[in-house]
Amino acid sequence: MNKFLSLTKIQVIDFFSKYTQQLNVKNKYLGILVMFLPILLIFPATQMVLEIYNSFLAMGFPELTVTYMYIANTILMVVVSIPFIISVFFYSKDLRLIATLPVKEDTIVFSKLASVYIYLLAISSFFLGTAVVIYGTIGELNLSSLIVGIIALIISPLIPMIIATIIILPFMSVIGSGKRRNLMVVVGNMLLLGAIIVLQMLSSKIQLQPEELNNILLQEDGLLMVVGRRFPPSIWLTKMIQGSIVNGVLFIGLNVVLVLILKTFAKTVYSKALMKFNQEGDSIRGGKIYYKSRNKGLQMIKRHINIIISNPVFLMNTVLTIFMPILMFIIILFTGEIQGELLKSTVLFPYHVYIFSAIITTPAIIGSLSATVITREGKTFWETKVLPISARDNIKYRIYTTLIIKLVASLILGIMTIFIIPVNLQTVLVATVFCITSTLFFSSIDIVINIERPLLNWSNPTAAVKNNLNILLALLLRLVVGVIGYGLYKLIDGWEASVVMLVFSGLFIILYFISIYIVYGMYEEKFIDIAP
Amino acid sequence: MLILKNVSKIYGNNKKAVDQLTLQIEKGEIIGFIGPNGAGKTTTIRMITGIIALTEGIIEINGKNITKEPVEAKKNFTFVPDHPTIFDAIKGIDYLNFIGDMHEVTIQHRKDRIEKYTKAFQIYDSLTQTINSYSHGMKQKLLISGALLPDPNLFILDEPMVGLDPHSAKILKDIMREHCEKGGTVFFSSHVLEVVENLCDRVAIIHRGKLIACDTPKNIKKNSSATLEEIFLEMTKDE
Ligand SMILES: Nc1ncnc2c1ncn2[C@@H]1O[C@H](COP(=O)(O)OP(=O)(O)O)[C@@H](O)[C@H]1O
Ligand SMILES: [Mg+2]
Repeated sequence: MNKFLSLTKIQVIDFFSKYTQQLNVKNKYLGILVMFLPILLIFPATQMVLEIYNSFLAMGFPELTVTYMYIANTILMVVVSIPFIISVFFYSKDLRLIATLPVKEDTIVFSKLASVYIYLLAISSFFLGTAVVIYGTIGELNLSSLIVGIIALIISPLIPMIIATIIILPFMSVIGSGKRRNLMVVVGNMLLLGAIIVLQMLSSKIQLQPEELNNILLQEDGLLMVVGRRFPPSIWLTKMIQGSIVNGVLFIGLNVVLVLILKTFAKTVYSKALMKFNQEGDSIRGGKIYYKSRNKGLQMIKRHINIIISNPVFLMNTVLTIFMPILMFIIILFTGEIQGELLKSTVLFPYHVYIFSAIITTPAIIGSLSATVITREGKTFWETKVLPISARDNIKYRIYTTLIIKLVASLILGIMTIFIIPVNLQTVLVATVFCITSTLFFSSIDIVINIERPLLNWSNPTAAVKNNLNILLALLLRLVVGVIGYGLYKLIDGWEASVVMLVFSGLFIILYFISIYIVYGMYEEKFIDIAP
Repeated sequence: MLILKNVSKIYGNNKKAVDQLTLQIEKGEIIGFIGPNGAGKTTTIRMITGIIALTEGIIEINGKNITKEPVEAKKNFTFVPDHPTIFDAIKGIDYLNFIGDMHEVTIQHRKDRIEKYTKAFQIYDSLTQTINSYSHGMKQKLLISGALLPDPNLFILDEPMVGLDPHSAKILKDIMREHCEKGGTVFFSSHVLEVVENLCDRVAIIHRGKLIACDTPKNIKKNSSATLEEIFLEMTKDE
């Protein structure tokens, strides 16, 4: 147990160091403040949960809020934990060291999962946590259900985490052998994620016969059974919070059983998947020795793109953040939750500019590639600093790399959308202008975050691109811009959509010039002094 | 060729790693920069190469100030760090071409020099493999080959002998000698004293961020019957 605790402690400290790194004494309070930034996300989460609560309350089943949030939360956690588990297990730099320590395989597996658990618990707190608190406190305070709910919250990450682990570890040992391993890992996991989402969507669409449905609804917990049939533990959890001991035993028992299953298989899983994966490097041989000169800028951009492509976690993360929204959209479309006709209807026509702009601008809004462009280089960051190129160019090519990736993604999204929504040329042009101007702004200003917080010493790639404060700061920036933008929109309410979008594009151009001044004027010095 | 004037470095945690260091290196010299672990060798080299900024002082390489004219200054040197951590998902030959492009080496030069050095280090046949399949020593040899590719005026190496087998270390020493005979300058750090003693024209000893001696190995030993090692240990003794 001692070994487990100290191993876990190291993993957890490593996890948190990505948030606290660089918060030195000088701006200690700012640092603490910044640590609490993620908590701001509780407001939109609360808003959402309250709305759900009110609709279930109107039906007379407020407890369904918990059921519903628990199901959504579990799906989200499975999806989020897959890349994370891959990162800590297969691409973590400490693995070689840990493998040499005299500790049991299950100890290693569980201590590695500790950081995944914390991450999932944070997510769970926003969704299930708010649901539990709202259900337990609104109306009359129900202390026992609040306490049971919090216990449920604490164990809620276990099911998705262990299921994801049990799926992913053997899966990786299948796709992780042979040549082009990294490519296989990315493609394989994207397909897996897609499959999980589709399955989820399909399971919610299972049609019940009307008589059957009526029968179920007539029962005491009818609606709960209908909502929870996708995932029975959600029924147990709901009843447990309502005070049922039997269901509590079922729910907690399931978690215990899963932990035991993982513990039993840990040895096999660890030695088969992990050791095999770590032994075979993804090296490419062959080709010719060539001597060819290329443009410096192209070489630099190629380097930065290569850094993303060569690391499956970076690549998956980039592709997911950019295409996830559209992926969801398409899946929803195919499973029929939104009718195709609705999108083609003329009612929506005035909003086409907004919809189209929003879709093609997702890469710039959701992705914050520039905020991690230095971090992704990690310990190899020194390489470009000793070369005879100026700091300005060095920064510039990083921004260009982000721009290229995002604009290509926007282009792909645009082409896909044109097939779904019948937009006209004017819409396309206006949206394109908006997309380019906003992408220019976000791609340049984001790098300031990374220059402020370079984080070159990461031990697993998720820490470099997702699990760190830079990403949250980038999101906060978007939130602020969004809120101000919304305020402006309210002011000029009634203007034609295209005009509104062009006004915003103009504002983004101004912001872009300001960001250029900030990046090259104020942050070049700081870039030069980033210590490895 | 290389001038350091009152150079200091204070890290973010208020750690003074280099303290008022002054040093002048002439063209054609091989200088060994020695000192115990944590003396400030790597920090000094990082400032010379522009990896980190100086807290105070001036560094000039071939008359170009590294702070004021970084690009011009950087055209005059190449650098091999103490750890061969480079982006390794590309092939060895891609790396060398990348360095060649950055230093604007012509194709003919590139071919001649890459063949010369990688064959000497016996990594030529591995150039078509990705660098992540190389051993530590192979990576180091690749970095050294890359650094020699532009035929730099000043060749800077941080602890170059660590991790090289005796055979490769010998080749590197010969290359360093040859580089100087052709008018180049070599500046390298080390804690291996024999290497320094036999190879260097002059030795600079750094201790706790301060330069405590800078002379030919012979002069340092002159008034003493002790070996260089004994003198070094005496000089850098902790009170
Ligand atoms: N990035 C850094 N931040 C703070 N202190 C550092 C950093 N790098 C080195 N130091 C400190 O500076 C001193 C000199 O280190 P270094 O130049 O690496 O020594 P050497 O290369 O001679 O062994 C050491 O005490 C070390 O702890
Ligand atoms: Mg050193």
